Amino acid sequence: MDVSQYLEIFIDETNEHLQNLSDCIMVLEKEPDNKDTINEIFRAAHSLKGMAGTMGFKRMQHLTHDMENVFQEVRSDKISVNSKMIDLLFECLDALDKYLENVKETSNEGTEDNEAIIKELNDFIAQASGETPAPVSEPAKEEKQPDSSKEEEDREKKFLKVELDEVEKTAIKSAEEAGSKIYGFTVYIHQDCLLKAARAFLVFKAVEEFGEIIIYRPSSRDIEDEKFELDFTFFLASAEDLEKIIPGTLAVSEIDVVLAEEVKSSDFNKKEETAVSAEAAPAPKEQEPAKKAAPAAANAGKKQAANKPVTSRTVRVDIEKLDALMNQVSELIIAKNSLVSISATEGGNFESQLFHEQIEYLERITTSLHESVMKVRMVPIESVVNKFPRMIRDLSRKLNKSMELYMSGEDTELDRTVVDQIGDPLQHLLRNSADHGLESSEIRTQRGKPAKGSIYLNAFQEGNNVIIEVSDDGNGIDTDAVREKAIERGVITSDQADGMSQKEIINLLFMPSFSMAKKITDISGRGVGLDVVRSNIEALGGDVEVSSKLGEGSKFTVRLPLTLAIIQALMVEIRDEKYAIALGSIQNIEDIPVNEIRFVEAKEVIHLRGLVIPIIRLDKILEMEPLEKEPESLTVVVVKKGDNYAGLVVDNLIGQQEIVIKSLGKFIKANKIISGATILGDGEMALILDVNTLF
Amino acid sequence: MENGIEISGKSTKQYIVVKIGSEQYGLDISYIDNIVRMQTITRVPKVQTYFKGIINLRGEVVPVMSIRLKMLLADDQFTDASRIIILKIEEQGTIGIIVDEVKEVVELAMDDIDRPAQKSKLDKNSFIFGVGKHGDELISLFDINAVVDEPDNA
Repeated sequence: MDVSQYLEIFIDETNEHLQNLSDCIMVLEKEPDNKDTINEIFRAAHSLKGMAGTMGFKRMQHLTHDMENVFQEVRSDKISVNSKMIDLLFECLDALDKYLENVKETSNEGTEDNEAIIKELNDFIAQASGETPAPVSEPAKEEKQPDSSKEEEDREKKFLKVELDEVEKTAIKSAEEAGSKIYGFTVYIHQDCLLKAARAFLVFKAVEEFGEIIIYRPSSRDIEDEKFELDFTFFLASAEDLEKIIPGTLAVSEIDVVLAEEVKSSDFNKKEETAVSAEAAPAPKEQEPAKKAAPAAANAGKKQAANKPVTSRTVRVDIEKLDALMNQVSELIIAKNSLVSISATEGGNFESQLFHEQIEYLERITTSLHESVMKVRMVPIESVVNKFPRMIRDLSRKLNKSMELYMSGEDTELDRTVVDQIGDPLQHLLRNSADHGLESSEIRTQRGKPAKGSIYLNAFQEGNNVIIEVSDDGNGIDTDAVREKAIERGVITSDQADGMSQKEIINLLFMPSFSMAKKITDISGRGVGLDVVRSNIEALGGDVEVSSKLGEGSKFTVRLPLTLAIIQALMVEIRDEKYAIALGSIQNIEDIPVNEIRFVEAKEVIHLRGLVIPIIRLDKILEMEPLEKEPESLTVVVVKKGDNYAGLVVDNLIGQQEIVIKSLGKFIKANKIISGATILGDGEMALILDVNTLF
Repeated sequence: MENGIEISGKSTKQYIVVKIGSEQYGLDISYIDNIVRMQTITRVPKVQTYFKGIINLRGEVVPVMSIRLKMLLADDQFTDASRIIILKIEEQGTIGIIVDEVKEVVELAMDDIDRPAQKSKLDKNSFIFGVGKHGDELISLFDINAVVDEPDNA
């Protein structure tokens, strides 16, 4: 079978299952007796095995099979969960991860057999059952039997409860009179089945060889339209015995259980009067075939017990298609902007009220179209951060420090391209916290802190940005030590060091090749760390800040743009050039008389509602000729980054506009202050200022 | 013209001949995406001196470089004959270079191209890989990658 077309789905789903497994095993480590979790793990391992088998990845299949066996034993209480087993399971996951990596790169699982792990898995089972590892599958199979029969109880014979109207009763009666027997059927479809209606159709086709279906529940129409959950019920009028009919229905794939028995028209009349329960009148003989059906379906039936929510309706779309869509929306917005500017400038020809209304309508549509496309591209950061608890657990072992990761805001959404690239920087920051930030348990207890260190990962949205904070309650950054190290390394001179603020010293940590680790471990401290974090985040149009209090911990704040393509911006004019400033970072706009400008440390500042705000002359920064004569008052755009403010002096305000961010390309080595360009309605271009770089 | 190439059998290449100052230069036609008239160039502050800025080429932002400044010649004088040649370079994308005038397209066989005897004679500001002979005219052929390449110290 050619399965290459399913490869991507396989990779995606395997990822999901592995993540799921990892989460569950983490839970299991804390609550070794949690039956739900054990079942969940079993199911995930089982699905993985099935998928790997379908794709022909034998080694993956083998490994997951043995994992499944171990859980089988756990489920049947033959082995209890211990830390050695958890470690082993994580090893399995890592091995599976490697297979998956290989599959991603080469469409092949590779040749690593992971015999050592498989052997250990089997040893576990051997210990439990007191047998040699070979007949491992035996106890597992035994276990399945009682399990399935238990599930069977959940499955009622719904046909016994069906309420019939007069027409249907007459139909049954007349069929009976014609000499047919009436059989009630309730069919349960496997919960992962995609084409339920098709399965139902095949079941009908199978039974209609023997007779005529007289009643459908839900109606045949609804069954065709798939308007039913996992089961449907029907009544068949047939002259044949039930034993002959049943096998045909079971031959249909993805059918879990078929429950059937003979019913009499009189049963229904009686039921109306007494309203007996389903268990009331099971004719023992007819129940036999149903029992036969059960074992066959037992394997699949295991999944049935999961009280998992029905997955939402989704479509997997190639990110490139979304990029193309986004580009087209961008083009549309540029075209819309030029219509707007035509309607505004050549008012003489476009006086008509209707025209302006239509333009406004168009604006609304393009804006909401853009929002929709943007939302489609947004994914929760969950997919990135949910691997972190596992990582912290491993680090905790490796570093021999006890620590716990608390996460919040995992559902915060970001543009897909940003999410894809935020994993590494965040991982670095967490490792940094675990390795450098947190003290060892002994020191912590000495200092009166809880022995277990805490690391927090907190994500939330703030305006047009998403903030991700990584903090710890460790030792914080020792600025004196950083200062000494910096002088020792020759990064700064001691004279320079004296003049530096705490903040500036902390920022030294972001210098390339600056590591504070006293010894180099494989976790961090190779000097490739925070500088890479910063450059990665800046490449995404974001930035990172640190605040720290010695003895109490430190906090890294990562700020990321919500989207990369289109933003709301304030257009300003400086001399005859136009610039765009992202609206998200603008606090307010002020007219400041020149004589209100004060000087602090030879820098221009203004006093505004209790805040001292430094003034930045954009014309100077953007290498323009100074004005011959300074105007009496300045237009100041106050921008905010975190807790810092700055006032940007511009010549003119043009207005607010939705702009499409275009890159300047790879040739121009622009200063960081220019984050891109945009094309205005009249075809003119404006540069986009990244005010975050001005702080 | 395309037929001509095939029939000749010899490896020939087409070059666009442009004028910069009084000299003629040739650009390998396979790199050329477009030739546009001079248009408003939006200045970008704080970039390499030889970048004049960016232009809007049908909705795309294209950086424009002055080949004169990069070759350490006198700054451009824009006239009616001035053109921006849009080059498409794999991976790095598009870039425009300003020339004084676009003259014609010529076809040069490898035999018609003289490569400089010793490469060492070329200082780092030379972007010529050879001199082509077309009739009795000499055309300096640009090494496009050298033209658009960014020196590390920039």
